[in-house]
Amino acid sequence: MMRFRTAKAVASAALIGALLAPISAAADGVTVGQTFIAAGLDPAEGSNGWALVSHGIGEQLFKVSREGEVVPNLAASATLNGDGTWTVELAPNRFFSDGTAVTAETVAMALNRTGESNPSARATAGLLTFTALDEDTLTVSTEQPTTILPSILAEWAFPVYRMDGEAPVFTGPFAVTTFEPGATIEMTPNTFYADAETRSDVTVRRIADGQSLALAFASGELDMAFNLPVETLAMLEATEGETVTFPVAYQYMMWMNTRTPALADPQVRRAIDMAVNRADLVTAAQAGVPATGAFAANYPFAAPGPLPFDPAMAASLLDEAGWALGSDGVRAKDGERLELVLYAYPQRPDLVTFQPVVRAALAEIGVAITTQVTESPSDVAGSGAFDLFLWAQHTAPAGDPGLFLSLFFETDAARNYTGWSNPDYDALIAELRAEGNPQARIGLALRAQEMIAAEAPVSFLVTPEWHVGLSPALAGYEPWGSDYYVIRPDLVAAE
Amino acid sequence: MAGALGLVGRLALSWLAVVAAAFLLLRTMPGDPIEMFLDQMSVQSGPEIVAAYRAAWGLDEPLTWQFLHWLEGFVTFDWGVSFETGRPVAADFAARLPYSAAIGVGGMTLAVIVGFLLGYLAALRTGGAFDAISRGLAVAGQSLPAFAVGLVALWVLGVELRWIDAFGGGPVERIVMPMLLVTFFSVGAMARLTRAGFAEVKRSPYFRTALAKGRSRPAALWHHGRAAGALTLIAGLAPELAWIIGGTAVAEIVFGVPGISERVVQAVSHRDYAILQPYIALLALWVALVLHGARGVRRALDPRIP
Repeated sequence: MMRFRTAKAVASAALIGALLAPISAAADGVTVGQTFIAAGLDPAEGSNGWALVSHGIGEQLFKVSREGEVVPNLAASATLNGDGTWTVELAPNRFFSDGTAVTAETVAMALNRTGESNPSARATAGLLTFTALDEDTLTVSTEQPTTILPSILAEWAFPVYRMDGEAPVFTGPFAVTTFEPGATIEMTPNTFYADAETRSDVTVRRIADGQSLALAFASGELDMAFNLPVETLAMLEATEGETVTFPVAYQYMMWMNTRTPALADPQVRRAIDMAVNRADLVTAAQAGVPATGAFAANYPFAAPGPLPFDPAMAASLLDEAGWALGSDGVRAKDGERLELVLYAYPQRPDLVTFQPVVRAALAEIGVAITTQVTESPSDVAGSGAFDLFLWAQHTAPAGDPGLFLSLFFETDAARNYTGWSNPDYDALIAELRAEGNPQARIGLALRAQEMIAAEAPVSFLVTPEWHVGLSPALAGYEPWGSDYYVIRPDLVAAE
Repeated sequence: MAGALGLVGRLALSWLAVVAAAFLLLRTMPGDPIEMFLDQMSVQSGPEIVAAYRAAWGLDEPLTWQFLHWLEGFVTFDWGVSFETGRPVAADFAARLPYSAAIGVGGMTLAVIVGFLLGYLAALRTGGAFDAISRGLAVAGQSLPAFAVGLVALWVLGVELRWIDAFGGGPVERIVMPMLLVTFFSVGAMARLTRAGFAEVKRSPYFRTALAKGRSRPAALWHHGRAAGALTLIAGLAPELAWIIGGTAVAEIVFGVPGISERVVQAVSHRDYAILQPYIALLALWVALVLHGARGVRRALDPRIP
């Protein structure tokens, strides 16, 4: 009886001990938590291509480097031919994760399949047709002429793969072992990728809520927590590891509708542009850096900045434009008060946070602002039914400035929300479109930004920053490239 | 037979009216799914790509034709593919249903069992400890935000005490915490409903007769009150059960469980009609079945119910 009681007591103590013991934080391999995960493994469907590259599973022929330049990846080079087609040479000794060599034929088969089924692969130059010339050489013909094929091939829609029956096989540093849609991807190092022996297994977990993501990192379940909410950073100060902040290319800006009578005058737009203190916006968002132009500072075509903040000059510009300050603090001209409606959208909470800051800044120079929030930003912006519109946009998703500068600012362009029109600008963009030399393109993009700044159909405000939690095992890993390259070949856990 | 056919006909018509109204409401919601997708994916494109997506997603047809096309697909189990992910909707739902069902059904079952017992104990001694506990749980269930309670549970159990591995475990480990969250928010209401049924019996002459015959209060109340307690519980439970699949979004989002509710929330923010429409159709069917089923059970338990 005594022995039975002793055994029961030991068992109870063991059970209690097991329940009270902290769960071991360190498991084999690396666990990455993020708010998104690939929905499927077929890059031709939905937005899978983007997630697969972001997870380190897929790779494109070209990629965007940390410095914001388009550089060869699975390709060695791309050359524009006299007839408008391109010749792409593949890099030697590149393999799929099953050991099959990357050949021109497999690349052509995959990218033609993607182009046929995924409209996003046809967004920049229409349908691309790939033809294998030999083992390592492809020709690419494009539906619309382009001088920037490497940049197009760096877009998220173009990861290279081969279909093994129904299952796609990729070339990235990690290969999928198990996949639970919407929840988890378990990966092992691709043994046919350089330096595979230095990498550990990686598990990607989707944790949709940012607060839960932060708690999972604090509990030691994650080695990397990607894109933590800024308000959780203070809590994580006591957590083992570090939080790293890095700039991302989703620029915050404010469209100014040139069809609004008051905003038809460039002087009024310039006054508004220089009345907003970008440092105040950074403080309000608790992250980011003041924008210098259309592009984040790491891109070679980013404007040098800084953009002016001068409320006194802004006020005098409005005086010159005939907008006289009234006794109620609001300017008026020919009986019309300078009252504008400022839109933002909740999908980007920072923009809603900016609204009162912008309103207060513009009130200082006598511009009355009414704020509105819409859940349909594209509809409202596209309809032109706004005066000012706070906006977030990745301005160079494939490392080239041309598309943004064209699509949003050329006369009658599809997303020219502001209605701005400048024949000199249009001519400059036509030149940019025809120019293939990267250095020359940088110069043209800088000139285009100067022209935009001079007439201010938009006010570039803030380059946002994201926050990443890293456990000691991943100390030194540097996130870059927004959410396009979260897991890269250099994701190596410390011994 | 004629009555059964009439019931099925009424159910089918109600279902059709609900899904048609939902179809129209979804299409009139502000926000174009194509623009949202292109914005989210930073696809800088012109109208031809928008048109290509509109055609690929079947949004270029007249609304009536879209509805009939969808209806035909739904009844033949061809539910199409998600706009956002390109994944077949039926496969997505099938993979997620076990999580949502386990959380919803498991959480509610636990709430019913614990709530019934708590309600009985609360009725046994009005104003006693169990009465206070059940009232406290009911108030907490109505007033505390589920999101905050879930996050606090994560923080205390996962971060401070490190008793749970909320995100890292297998499927079973992953559903325990969200299931308990569902239980926490339902158990108080279940207990108070049950208590009301038992309390009514306590006031009845036959209960006093049973006591006079020498039965103890607990035994008499259990013997004579459990059917009444069950009846009031079922009446209150039916609407709760109707939302059991899909009403657990907070639990799924906080604990990172890939269930249907979490997917639906995601689909709303992307205006993914391909996900939302069959979800609403299934929900409408489920609600109708649960409400009619509960009515049948109550009739069986109490023939006086018309």
